[in-house]
Amino acid sequence: MPESPGLVALVTGAAQGLGHATALRLAADGHRVAVNDIADDGRLRELADRIGGAAVPGDIADPGAGPRLASAVAGRLGPVRILVANAAAMAMSPFLDAKPDDWWRQVDVNLTGHFRLIQAVIPGMRAAGHGRIVIIASGWGVIGHPNATAYAASKAGLIALTKGLGREVGPQGILANAIAPSYIDTEQLRVDASDAGISLDEMRQRYRDLVPVRRLASPDDIAAAVSFLAGPGSSAVVGQVLQPSGGVTRTRA
Amino acid sequence: MPVGEPAPVAVITGAASGIGAACARLLGEHGWRTAGLDLNESGTDLPARVDVTDRAGVAAAVDAAAARFGRIDLAVAAAGYYEEGIDVAEITTAQWDRMLAVILGGTVHTCAAVLPHMLARGQGAIVAISSELALAGSATDLHYVAAKGAVLGLVKSLAMEVAQTDIRVNAVAPGPTDTPLLAPDSLWRKPDYLATLPLGRLVTPEEIAHAVYYLATEGSMYCGEVLSPNAGAVI
Repeated sequence: MPESPGLVALVTGAAQGLGHATALRLAADGHRVAVNDIADDGRLRELADRIGGAAVPGDIADPGAGPRLASAVAGRLGPVRILVANAAAMAMSPFLDAKPDDWWRQVDVNLTGHFRLIQAVIPGMRAAGHGRIVIIASGWGVIGHPNATAYAASKAGLIALTKGLGREVGPQGILANAIAPSYIDTEQLRVDASDAGISLDEMRQRYRDLVPVRRLASPDDIAAAVSFLAGPGSSAVVGQVLQPSGGVTRTRA
Repeated sequence: MPVGEPAPVAVITGAASGIGAACARLLGEHGWRTAGLDLNESGTDLPARVDVTDRAGVAAAVDAAAARFGRIDLAVAAAGYYEEGIDVAEITTAQWDRMLAVILGGTVHTCAAVLPHMLARGQGAIVAISSELALAGSATDLHYVAAKGAVLGLVKSLAMEVAQTDIRVNAVAPGPTDTPLLAPDSLWRKPDYLATLPLGRLVTPEEIAHAVYYLATEGSMYCGEVLSPNAGAVI
């Protein structure tokens, strides 16, 4: 199997965490990478400069964002051939306390924003007869989680979208797959620790205790899964949900 | 591979043909040393002619590989065979027993033989080859499907048992793959069937090998995973 030549990739939610690690990994794999995040701040431009890519900031929940981002990337690097749908909003609350605005914000970013972005990049992939769509879902979209019903529903929606899309565009050479991580050692842990009123180290230990392999995934672990799904070795993988979660989901569902 | 590190070592059952042979080739291309267990002579660095239903024979071949290479980083349990077109009422006891002995027994024996070597170093990876049919079911090869399904139960349970070491146990569940196990007139080769697959074609043994290689090299967060390169046969 020949190695893919460098392809144009777009990673949403790339300013930090696993989106950031994924952009670095795809660039190291030889791809030309455009990076998106909601804020047009120094982090995104610093990352784009570091990997010789392009920064395309914007809120993907904005109804016009999908076509705008797709054409911005096409204009600067070429049509998107690898899309990594990673940007996400999360708001924890007991189900009955969930505010409709919070519910819709999570669905609008995680699910609908990526729906529009995928719609915008598919024509270019179709024209090339090749594309890879890698959806960052969540273990909570597989097994659910208390106080995260909106987030879990949005991620479960992405998994169903992945499966339908895999069936629909697979025949055109476009492979859609999802990754469902669980506990990852990212900046989000600081937020979780603050919410729980405990230290970062206590938060890490609390999460580790929930993982059968007793280790949190690193952003690089998830970026490696993206690299596999974006690369030549996964050419028969379509509509699948990879679960590099240390056993959190595969041993429970 | 870091300079100065000894090349990693893989034990592969069913290494003489099909998926096992493709795994051996790919690992070899990446600088691994390979030991192949098969009824036939495999093109590995250390071929052993072994029937995987022979527990002592598997253990001896694995121990020989460990003695020769000093370690075992990966075991790929790929030995198997296939029978299709048999109605459930017509599967004989002998057919059932043989299928379970090779596919499930062979995987159990392989795991049992490599685990002591991996536990001694506290690390390693086992990848068992299951089947997409174990996920979806299939009408005319029930003994094969039951055996491949049992492999998934074994994988998940063993994965849990060793979860707190750095030994990872996972499965790859191939879709219909273009190997000698699929007869020329197999249902799975027929254009009418292939047309139902989103990718419209058989999977190649190399594509399965790439999934195995990914789990072996970057799969430290997979525990009981079922990775299915299946051309869309099961989504």
